[in-house]
Amino acid sequence: MPGTEISRLRIDPRTGLLLLVLANIIAFSNKSLSVELGTLGLLLFLTVLCGQLRSALKWGAVIIFLFALQWYILPASPKIIATSFSIFANYARKMLPCLMIGGLLISTLSLREIIVALRSFHVPQKLIISISVTLRYFPAIKEEIAHIGDAMRLRNISGLEKVEATLVPLMISATNTAEELSAAAVTRGIENPAKKTSLIQLKMCCFDWIVLTVGSLFTVVALIF
Amino acid sequence: MSQSTNGKMLKGRDLITVGIFSAIYFVINFIFMLMSGFHPMIWILMPALIALFTGVPFMLMCAKVQKPGAVILMGLITGLLYFVTGQFTVVILATFAVGCILGEIARAVTKYNSYIGNTVAFAMFSIGMTGSPLPIWIMRESFLAQITQQGMPADYVATLEAVSSPAMLIVMVVAPLVTAVIGAFIAKGMFKKHFTKAGIV
Repeated sequence: MPGTEISRLRIDPRTGLLLLVLANIIAFSNKSLSVELGTLGLLLFLTVLCGQLRSALKWGAVIIFLFALQWYILPASPKIIATSFSIFANYARKMLPCLMIGGLLISTLSLREIIVALRSFHVPQKLIISISVTLRYFPAIKEEIAHIGDAMRLRNISGLEKVEATLVPLMISATNTAEELSAAAVTRGIENPAKKTSLIQLKMCCFDWIVLTVGSLFTVVALIF
Repeated sequence: MSQSTNGKMLKGRDLITVGIFSAIYFVINFIFMLMSGFHPMIWILMPALIALFTGVPFMLMCAKVQKPGAVILMGLITGLLYFVTGQFTVVILATFAVGCILGEIARAVTKYNSYIGNTVAFAMFSIGMTGSPLPIWIMRESFLAQITQQGMPADYVATLEAVSSPAMLIVMVVAPLVTAVIGAFIAKGMFKKHFTKAGIV
């Protein structure tokens, strides 16, 4: 038992959310390459510590690809391609730390735990409900667009008609989902004004504090240099 | 429209509706955000392009949720999502806040169910996105230096500097207003052609 505990360290959802804030400050203010590489390296290490070896390898490959693209491939390619893609690479690099933390949160925590964490930060309940619906709806949009694409291919719809033929079913299905989801949520007492309780008890342990301390140190370094 | 008459507070149903349409709004928004990498002009016209294509989700959301706070909530969600993806700046925060508050006022004055009121609200909301390219003008030197240092290619920055004349600033702010009206007009057409017939508004 103790062995499994150590190999699968978990971060508290509150730590994860705070890390996200710190990563944003770093992305916004950082100018030095070594801090950027350090942040990415530490996040990879954190991902491994949390038992997500496969996603750590995947992120590692993405990082190496992006830097190789920006340093070796793009300088050697034609100018138009180089300009457009180096901006993509640049955006992606800036977003990477946030995406890595986000990915870690999604794969190690349930949405329920994140909601409890947001509640403990005193985020208004109304904002929590809407934003969790928004987050949950992204994969649904992807699925929906794939279905609509299949249907369009069957009926040979092309050109400008495609935009309308995608948008309208998407809107109608969104409206229907909103109706159905509301009915389900209201039945389960979403409109109950009483304070919500939860089975989940959040506990910050020593690992969380270490992660937060290292994260804050990096933020300070990024802000100074 | 029975749901809009019971009470003036946002209820569970409204929150879910706003959440879902915010997701669609954000996806369209984000596509243009990524496309702005191709050419600086796309970045400068990004708020306008977004306004043109997001009219339908915004107007449908307005039709479904005729209560105060819906526009602000949508703006908050968009802002938070930008925050998570690391694309957030203080300027966007300010323009979004101003846009959302003006939008709410426009809807409050017109009692939430007028087409014109919602169109004005949408135009104001679309102005919120101008916070993304706005630093090019208001913090010109330091901003251009910053994005160069962060690895933006020199060509892009040079073109950006060349096209961002003071006249362009006016275009950048006025264009979303115009396209928002067009976007709302398209939405109206779609409402008539599809949504009213399908019984969803």
